[in-house]
Amino acid sequence: MNIVVVLKHIPSVADELPVRGNQVDFDSVDFVLNEWDEQSLEQAALIKEALGGTVTAIGVDVIGELDNLLHLALAKGADRAVKIAADDAGADSHRQAKWLSEAIRPMAPDLVLVGVQASNDIDGQLGPLLAAYLDLPYIGVVSSIEVQDGTALMNKEFAGGFGARYSVRLPFVAGVQVAPKPPRYAPVSKIRQIAQTAKIEVLEPSGEADSGLVFRKVAPPVVSGHAEMIEGSPKEIAARLVALLKERGLA
Amino acid sequence: MLSSIEKVVFVIVALIALGVSFHGFWMIVFTVRQGRPAPELKNIPGSLLRAAWRVLLQQTIFRARPALSAVHLALFFGLITYAFVNLFDVLEGFVAGFDLTYGGRHMTAIFLPSGVVNAFNLISDLMSGALLVAIVVFLVRRFGVRDRRLQFREQVLLHPKVRAGAQHTDSLIVGVFVIMHVTAHLLTQAFRLTEGPDPFMPLASLLNAWLGPSEVGMHVAWWVSLGWVLFILAYIPPSKHTHFFLAPINLGLAKQTPRGQLDPAIPLKVIQGQTFEPGAKHIYDLAWTRLLDAYACVQCNRCQDVCPAHAYGRPLSPAALEVNKRYLLKDATFGGRLQVLQQPLTETAISPEAVWSCTTCYACVRVCPVGNEPMADIVDIRRRLIVDGAPLDSGVQSALQSLATNGNWMGKSKRLRGRWAKEMDFPIKNALEEPVEYLWFVGDTASFDERVIPNTKMTARVFYQAGLDFGILYQHESNAGNDVRRVGEEGLFEQLVERNLQVFGQAQFQRIVTTDPHSLNTLKNEYPQFGGAFEVKHYTAVLVKLFEEGRLKVKKPLDHYKVTFHDPCYLGRYNGGFAAPRRLLNLLGVEFHEMPRNCENSFCCGAGGGQIWMSKVAPGERPAENRIREALSTLEKFPNGKKQLFIVTCPKDMIMYSDAVKTTGSEGRIEVRDLIQLVAEAIGIEEAQVVAIAA
Amino acid sequence: MSKDILVVAEHFNGKIADVTFEMVGKARELAAGLGGKVVALVIGAGVEANDLASDATLQVNEPALTEFNPEAYARIVEAVVQEQAPRLVMFGWTSMGMDLAAWLSGRTGAPCAAYVRDLRLENGGLVISCQAYNGKLIAEVEPQGEMTIAACLAGSFPTEAGRGATAATSIPSPIALDSLRVRFVEAIQPPPGDVDITTQAKLVAVGRGIGGKENIELAEELAEKLGAVVAASRPVVDAGWLPRTRQVGKSGLKVKPKLYLMLGISGAPEHLEGMKDAELIIAINTDKKAPIFNVAHYGATADLFEVAEAMLELL
Repeated sequence: MNIVVVLKHIPSVADELPVRGNQVDFDSVDFVLNEWDEQSLEQAALIKEALGGTVTAIGVDVIGELDNLLHLALAKGADRAVKIAADDAGADSHRQAKWLSEAIRPMAPDLVLVGVQASNDIDGQLGPLLAAYLDLPYIGVVSSIEVQDGTALMNKEFAGGFGARYSVRLPFVAGVQVAPKPPRYAPVSKIRQIAQTAKIEVLEPSGEADSGLVFRKVAPPVVSGHAEMIEGSPKEIAARLVALLKERGLA
Repeated sequence: MLSSIEKVVFVIVALIALGVSFHGFWMIVFTVRQGRPAPELKNIPGSLLRAAWRVLLQQTIFRARPALSAVHLALFFGLITYAFVNLFDVLEGFVAGFDLTYGGRHMTAIFLPSGVVNAFNLISDLMSGALLVAIVVFLVRRFGVRDRRLQFREQVLLHPKVRAGAQHTDSLIVGVFVIMHVTAHLLTQAFRLTEGPDPFMPLASLLNAWLGPSEVGMHVAWWVSLGWVLFILAYIPPSKHTHFFLAPINLGLAKQTPRGQLDPAIPLKVIQGQTFEPGAKHIYDLAWTRLLDAYACVQCNRCQDVCPAHAYGRPLSPAALEVNKRYLLKDATFGGRLQVLQQPLTETAISPEAVWSCTTCYACVRVCPVGNEPMADIVDIRRRLIVDGAPLDSGVQSALQSLATNGNWMGKSKRLRGRWAKEMDFPIKNALEEPVEYLWFVGDTASFDERVIPNTKMTARVFYQAGLDFGILYQHESNAGNDVRRVGEEGLFEQLVERNLQVFGQAQFQRIVTTDPHSLNTLKNEYPQFGGAFEVKHYTAVLVKLFEEGRLKVKKPLDHYKVTFHDPCYLGRYNGGFAAPRRLLNLLGVEFHEMPRNCENSFCCGAGGGQIWMSKVAPGERPAENRIREALSTLEKFPNGKKQLFIVTCPKDMIMYSDAVKTTGSEGRIEVRDLIQLVAEAIGIEEAQVVAIAA
Repeated sequence: MSKDILVVAEHFNGKIADVTFEMVGKARELAAGLGGKVVALVIGAGVEANDLASDATLQVNEPALTEFNPEAYARIVEAVVQEQAPRLVMFGWTSMGMDLAAWLSGRTGAPCAAYVRDLRLENGGLVISCQAYNGKLIAEVEPQGEMTIAACLAGSFPTEAGRGATAATSIPSPIALDSLRVRFVEAIQPPPGDVDITTQAKLVAVGRGIGGKENIELAEELAEKLGAVVAASRPVVDAGWLPRTRQVGKSGLKVKPKLYLMLGISGAPEHLEGMKDAELIIAINTDKKAPIFNVAHYGATADLFEVAEAMLELL
């Protein structure tokens, strides 16, 4: 199995996002790994453990700090790490997907795993764009993948616990919603060891694509209302809530 | 006294017994040497001598259980006396004319002054009595009243033999030995007294009055007495009573580094052709000194008594860990079952759940009379579990991931670390931009936790009022790593140390101050190992200094408060910071009462060693709840209508105990306050002023 | 290039999904401004598709496509788009639409806007509002070019305006179905026997703040006392602490209970989408800035465990 896992380095939403002009002020936000990419990385590691093969982690280096994520990926079971040195914090999904597709095509992967979405996918997710550029089928919101004889059996989730099982002939691109197991912890000693020895292949961005979206304005949402806040100790809050519920016949 | 045949038989039996014993001890030496290199021990003869002195004074054992310790003292000196008694018994048997009865009146072999002989006779006679009383007390305690402290809980992982009670059999054998041996010795002496009672041998004389002298009796009793000694010599090496010999040695070889400095995850000593994985998976991954621990342990369970996890009902018993280690080594060395050593410690010595229950409070190590370090074993086991990718508690995992990316465990953005400082109505210096005398290392909880930030602001205000020249690192501070190291994530710890040292290098300061004992501990005791030696002070010590220099003055004494004080593990037990907070309480004029467990014997709040990160909350009385009840019963002994306060000097304590006051339903009876709140009140900073800052 | 709007319909169990009615309604409004028509595309046979307010409804009456097939659907939409050349193609930002919208963008080069919360016309051009960065920012974008693709968050528009009586026109599949690489194997049903949270009058919903599986019990106890059922946000379900059937939100279920009591949910848009219509929303969270407090009717900044335990004593 030749598995490619795509990592997306995105602004952290743990904090308020400062805006400059018509974009996020990329210089003053922390960049983190897209949370769904942790799931796709875990899914890749699980497939590799079951079947053998190699896992290649690849991503667009948007702020020059992708090495950290690639080291993490190597510590979690990836065998090879590739970065596309773009140094373009505002690179949208279209551009990233184009560069990635040019880099991934020569790798002739059996399976490309991508996090199902990212919070900055304003122009769509990497997965389906990549699939379109690579001329491969795409299937997203995936919660498990098992590969056998050149075919993957996988579960896709719909809302409310409903889902469907699909079989897909390799190769294809999958957008992972959740791995069958919680992502493993990579000890820092291992990551640091890897950081010292690992070779990260560096590629220049190649190919051009454009989201075709012109940003007019980026701003925090206008808050229409706010809850009536109940103050006090937990006991007082509880008493107030219980009274409220009883008043309305809900308790 | 003995016939020639008896002499020959005795010599042969004695040689066999000594041979077996020697072989046993040699096996132990061999086994212990299989352990990893320990941190270098300096001046071993000196520390062995010091240990011998402490053993002689029975100093370490009186840290707990005073009554039982007194009984141990009797047993100890009884057995020391008996070393001489046995020597003289052998001489009496082998040397014609060697006779100590009646002040040595019939002594023809050598000359000894009768005063000396009589003194020895009296001491050994009385010590025989003391030994008998002591051993009966111990036997009754174990087998009569079945002291629960000698038992292990059902959930604690135990070696099958321990589960079946092998340690009790060991005790019984030695108990019977002492009784038989001492009684037989007394009888030997009694049968010797051919001329009526000897006033310097009261017990022997009493027996003599009852039984009379007897040549045959003397021979039989002598053989019983000395025969037991030979048997015991051979029996000791595989039993827990190696304690007799190895406890003092172990105490002499105990940890020499500061309490707050963990041993490295990989031995520093380089051994040609040998590489080590971090931490411990198998028993031989432990340092040799900690293998020796298992032989020094007499299984008294004092560590279990003081363990907060054990009190909480978790499946952790530090004692069981040592006992299990001992039985594992015994299986291998004396049972020929080497394969047991290939099983992970988490299957044979301590369950993973127990490993993750430890709060690293150091109480077990502190209380151990023989210098054992079960806590260090637990940290080593954690280290390997982390490296091996064992499943982690989800809360711990997300804390560690956040620490790696954000430098704090709360998942907060770095940039928010100094937000509280920007909300103050006076500027707080950035130590990276201008020189300061005190670099205030704020720590995660004090920087980010909404419940603690008011205290952080209060501290800043008091420092400011005193004119202290201080600054903080704002977003450039990272978690100091104390708890990261204790949860076993050595790599992340090193990364955090490097980040902080790099930032320290860019700042100009003379010393570090912190309100967080955890940060204090690692900055003070562990950073020097990484090349960062600083003077590190707890804010309580700085405040004392400010009062003494007159830079802070008590404007209104707080005599309307009745308070008790909780010693945080990492301030008190680890770093001896007992005096400063008490001095402050004294200066502030509060009515102060000590809880029964104070200072060295303080009881952990349950947050340390990564426990505060655990998502899993086990059922049972949490350590902090236990502590609040202790505080209440302490303060309520003095009913006088004053407001009752539980004073803390650690941000984590603020959280743990505020929670515990609520969960125990003690609101209205006791309130948790940081010492800084009292200081602020006493020097005239209005509560309202600080609330305004907090808002 | 036409001025028409193509709405790619979503259906489940033979019924058109609400998000489709929402989009058709919005599309009618936009089409009026553009001077074009609204065409709905329904892929699959056996779908009741005669109640949309579209100007035309095309139905690919192919039994093999009644169940969603990402590859086939994508290629059919591509073929229809090529033929019709619409001004705007609308998808739901759902498990289905998420597989199609960006793919179509990649294939056609037309711009794609995701996380769409609103669309409007300004000077004849489209302005689209996208709810980016977990709802922390709203991005207003102007798509360039002749065709635009929009993936709309469910619940963004009312459904009423999309309801009508346009009879569907059957069309043959524009692509060959025999060489597909993706094959539907079977439907996965929610684990049987579990409660249906969409029909419950009261829900106690837990989020990441609950901390661990062990703590679900506390929520269960509180729910039992209130005569409610426990629901959850996505992270709780992803972590395996509760089954999928309990998940509220975009990728879960949409609920409209009388009481929605939230413990430790910060209020990501994904979750808000599923519960914002509840009659009484009460949120308890330690973060006073949590977005949920903008949606809830009553809120408290407190430790959820303490409040829940205190409530248990009072109930």
